[in-house]
Amino acid sequence: MIRFCRLILLVAFAGCLWAGSDDTFFLRGATVHPISGPEIPNGSILVRDGKIIGVGVSLTPPKDVRIVEGKGLQVYPGLIDSATEIGLSEIGAVRETSDVSELGRLNPQLRASIAVNPSSEHIPVTRANGITAVISLPDGEGLSGQASLMHLDGWTTDEMEVSRTAAMHLRMPVIQTIRSRFGEGPPRIPYAEARKTYQKQMQELNEFFESARRYQKARSAAAPEFKPDLKFEAMIPVLEGKVPLLITAVRERAIRDALEFADKQKIKMILARGDEAWKVAGELKTRNVPVILGETLSLPLDEDDPYDKPFTTPAELYKAGVKFAFGTYNVSASRNLPYQAAAAVAFGLPHDEALRAITVNAAQIWGVADKMGSIEEGKWADLMITDGDPLQTQTQVMQVFIKGKTVDMDNKHHRLYEKYLARP
Amino acid sequence: MKRALALAPLTALWLAAAPPIVIQNGTILTVTKGTLLGSLLIKDGKIAQIGENIKIPSGAMVVDATGQFVMPGIVDCHSHIAAESINEGTVSVSSMVGIQDVLNPEDIAIYRALAGGVTTANILHGSANAIGGKCSVIKMRWGRTANELLFVGSKPGIKFALGENPKRRGGGNAFGATTLRYPATRMGVEDVIREAFTQAKAYRASWKDYEARKSRGELVIPPARDLKLEPLVEVLDGRRLVHAHCYRQDEILMLLRVADEFGFKIRTLQHVLEGYKVAKEIAAHGAGASTFSDWWAYKVEAYDAIPYNAAIMTRKGVLVSINSDSDELMRHLNNEAAKTMKYGGLTETEALSLITINPAKQLMIDSKVGSIEVGKDADITIFDAHPLSNFSKVTKVFIDGELYFDRDRDIADRPALASRKKELITKAAEEQKKSPPVSPRRPGL
Amino acid sequence: MKPGLNLISLIHCCSSALFAEGPAVYAIHDARVVRVSGPPIEHCTVVVRNGLIEAVGENVVPPADAWIIRGSGLTVYPGLIDALSTIGISGPRPPPATPALSPPPPAAGPEDRPSNTSFLRAADQIVAADPSVEAARDGGFTTAVTFPTANIFAGQGVVFDLAGMRIGQMVIDPSAGQYITLRNNGSSFPGSLMGVIAYIRQIYLDADRYKVAKAIYDKHPKGLERPAYDRTLEGVIESPRVLLPAHRAVEIDRMLQLARELKIRPILYGGEEAWRSVDSLKRSGVPVLVTLKWPEKAKDGDPAVDEPLRVLEMREKAPSTPGVLAKNGILFAFYSDGIATSKEVLKAAKKAVDAGLSTSDAVRALTLSPAEIYGVSDRLGSIDNGKIANLVVTDGDLFADKTKVKYVFVDGNKFEPAPESPDAKKDLEKTQ
Repeated sequence: MIRFCRLILLVAFAGCLWAGSDDTFFLRGATVHPISGPEIPNGSILVRDGKIIGVGVSLTPPKDVRIVEGKGLQVYPGLIDSATEIGLSEIGAVRETSDVSELGRLNPQLRASIAVNPSSEHIPVTRANGITAVISLPDGEGLSGQASLMHLDGWTTDEMEVSRTAAMHLRMPVIQTIRSRFGEGPPRIPYAEARKTYQKQMQELNEFFESARRYQKARSAAAPEFKPDLKFEAMIPVLEGKVPLLITAVRERAIRDALEFADKQKIKMILARGDEAWKVAGELKTRNVPVILGETLSLPLDEDDPYDKPFTTPAELYKAGVKFAFGTYNVSASRNLPYQAAAAVAFGLPHDEALRAITVNAAQIWGVADKMGSIEEGKWADLMITDGDPLQTQTQVMQVFIKGKTVDMDNKHHRLYEKYLARP
Repeated sequence: MKRALALAPLTALWLAAAPPIVIQNGTILTVTKGTLLGSLLIKDGKIAQIGENIKIPSGAMVVDATGQFVMPGIVDCHSHIAAESINEGTVSVSSMVGIQDVLNPEDIAIYRALAGGVTTANILHGSANAIGGKCSVIKMRWGRTANELLFVGSKPGIKFALGENPKRRGGGNAFGATTLRYPATRMGVEDVIREAFTQAKAYRASWKDYEARKSRGELVIPPARDLKLEPLVEVLDGRRLVHAHCYRQDEILMLLRVADEFGFKIRTLQHVLEGYKVAKEIAAHGAGASTFSDWWAYKVEAYDAIPYNAAIMTRKGVLVSINSDSDELMRHLNNEAAKTMKYGGLTETEALSLITINPAKQLMIDSKVGSIEVGKDADITIFDAHPLSNFSKVTKVFIDGELYFDRDRDIADRPALASRKKELITKAAEEQKKSPPVSPRRPGL
Repeated sequence: MKPGLNLISLIHCCSSALFAEGPAVYAIHDARVVRVSGPPIEHCTVVVRNGLIEAVGENVVPPADAWIIRGSGLTVYPGLIDALSTIGISGPRPPPATPALSPPPPAAGPEDRPSNTSFLRAADQIVAADPSVEAARDGGFTTAVTFPTANIFAGQGVVFDLAGMRIGQMVIDPSAGQYITLRNNGSSFPGSLMGVIAYIRQIYLDADRYKVAKAIYDKHPKGLERPAYDRTLEGVIESPRVLLPAHRAVEIDRMLQLARELKIRPILYGGEEAWRSVDSLKRSGVPVLVTLKWPEKAKDGDPAVDEPLRVLEMREKAPSTPGVLAKNGILFAFYSDGIATSKEVLKAAKKAVDAGLSTSDAVRALTLSPAEIYGVSDRLGSIDNGKIANLVVTDGDLFADKTKVKYVFVDGNKFEPAPESPDAKKDLEKTQ
């Protein structure tokens, strides 16, 4: 009961303290965790026009700025969820609310950010737990489209968009002999048949990349018969290595396929999910391929896998020197991103590394390390103020700033809570 | 350990008297009797003594829990593991079927739940039917037979389901044809339940009438026994607990009213994601609520779900538990419970109660499990840090005073299991080379 | 002696005439006789007359009217029994893999009696000329227990001899028992394993009440409502034993429990993991039909899919099951489970021998044990005076690779297997 009252007090306190939408302020007296360096007790942060222009211990506040008192509180960079369907999907079971998956297998021209719904209830719910930016990921079979990096604040998608094309998403074709695990006795497909399907898909994919390359040549040669093609057009930055190919592959065989494909096509690769990445850690390290791990709190793939396999995978990749970030691959559970990182800490991942995997590593992988992911001068003030370690569930996120703007911490859940707690 | 247990039935060993166990120097979270730094004595599968200083009996196995946290085994009020079928979805009332008939003690999910500190679970029929099948409460006795999984002395239960799942009208079958199944609306769901209980009452009356006439010496043919209606008669007579899957506040209220009309009680509302909207009514009926910590928005009826649900219902006098409904979530119910501290400000003890004593009360097994008290079953989970911390993990789990999970042993056994597997695969491959497999002629039986 | 042998060959050539004239008298002289009911006898004579075994022994003198078979170097076994088969039932047996054109009427509950054809009798369905009959016989099988297999209550099995002109003459017991499967009906009740079990339970309750209601009504028809005739329950009631599928240990436990609860006399079939269930099988006294189709890795599976140790162990240990059962005194018999040829059936049985089963117990599991399980051991299963003259005569140990079946006697009629040719097997496969 005591804790219950304290929470309400803090929220009220926070509300009056950080009211206003000005993106210029001076935060002081808090323990600052820059991530890029050691924590700064009694630290201060100066934010002007949404950017961090000073971090340190003995900063003096300029005369003209609002002062935010952070005594006894912790400041962290805003968290980045490196794989979500936020804005693309509202209610999982209702197709009409989903814009995740387009028809067809070759859709590189699709762009997630233009379909992100800024009014989604998931946005305020997610950012209330300190997540300030997410990758919105189109998903489907084959090349499903361009993943966008979005800030979880803004009146419009324009305002939310950090990077329209953070990566091109490819779901690696796999040999699928088991259709689904639902029901008694799942229907099985003979291996030879499944492999044929897979080979066809691989051929289609290779041909598509080759065609895109020919298109690229024809385009730069300004050939007279050249006709613009939106699909190939979208492939050019991928072929040029400017946009990474985010390849979803779960099993070892698919991961190896993906690596081989990336080598052959000479493209920049990021591995998505990679449940069995631990089996391929050496190759990932050698090629410098980063991984967007899925939820740590998940089931082992095979019956005989150690019960803690998904829990220990992040630590194993860390020890092998593979760079990784976490994604929830979810909408409604994106707010639990820090706890997916925390679960890996219980099984051997250093605490600092867990935090890096949801902040600075993500920013580096998505090519925005100059803008976000740590509390450093010159970066956007994507910050959260907490009363403790964000990896711990009991910790309350008191306030979130996105580009220095004090964001509204209220959300559907909190509104319903207050409404029905007060029901006579 | 896990495979060895699975493959060698140790029934005889199990029945033999085990030596006493002392769990020493741990932080003991009793849940019902406070927290202390001390020790625990287990004798004959029961908790025999709790205290700061316990004399170690001769021959006792001593478990050093220094720096560790000892709590009652976690109780999950909603699970679908350890069963070879879950849904008899072909009919709107499937009360004739029961999980007990299809328990599968070799489901790896049992071991994995055990490794997450769970010792007891309510294994429910699915939610495809307004009135579903019979449920079984089991303990995670990995390596035992199906019968030995059963929680002896637990009350029988039955699953009901309201809302979107039971009103799915059915679709194409294996033949491509569409067989529509009543009901298709929440109105119809209520009707199915009322109709079934009307029949059950008539059925009960027909037996009473038969017994009466028989005792008067009349010549009567007994009524046909009906396995569908018998569990419903047990519900009417208070001999079977109703666990009702529900989401929206209107359907929750509907079920409470139907139960009132027919004179039975709803023991637990499962999921009950809008329970916070009608917490007062739930408390008045005396129904328990078993909910998720923070799942929402996966379907329309879950769109108003809030992570404060458990806290509001607790504050308004409802007996609340947090359940998993998932092989995966079941592995970290302690983390799920912690969310009720964040959302709604429950205390540590309240949060732990949601996964221990409260579900035990809901299943009416709280005299045996759910807290660390003298005389209760020695179902004990040991964590290496506070269970409500995200950095904790389970190190040991005891059920009835028997060590069923030991992280050190699990890790130590891994190489042996891997080499055994390799050996079998190699052997089978050689065998296959030697003699090509037989070609079947007639279909196998 | 020489003319006798020539005559036998002649008779064999026109074997159809043989039935018309009735069986002859034979004496197999100076053979090794594996009686099964007792220790094998070297230099033994077996006399067959009128379809029955007339005499067995070292000192038996071949009767004057007998066709004499020189048995030196030969071994005589009781005719082999396939304890569970579909031999003799022609046409498509299992539900087709591709969907039927029209769906079956959906069942809303047990009262609709879905998948209950308990009244069907295999004895009424077997066809003497079915190619599977001769194929099995050529391999030394003289008797099969065949069941309808298409439904949950599939119907009643028949014990029958694998030669004859008319079915009626071939049948030994038309009421071998009820064959139960746990196949669910998908979108119609029962649509799950637990639904099937509940369904079976309800059927037995219905059958009990049916008996009671009929008994009461038959005594006092006046003033009582007449119980409706129900052939699906009649079939259940008239079945003296019930075959229940149980492959894994958990299934064995489950079926033993169900049988106990329903108070039925079960026979379990499958039994690949029965080695794990020795205690409960011993306690229950329930016999097991062990499949000879040992579990093996699916040929069309993905090589990269990780198979659980649980499955690998089951595969590895399955052939050791018979040895374990024999050591523990649990009654069991082998069944072919659709294996292509009798040769391969025996090869599969040899696997059990390699895994610890004694040869004599292996022979027993193909002869006397199935006869005991089906309650026909007073007629079949061993070489004893007065038993039906079903014999298989080989040129060596039954399970040895090179051993050939020289003669097969069914009901005292002698058959010589057609010489094995590679084409024969192909032809056989084509007819399936």
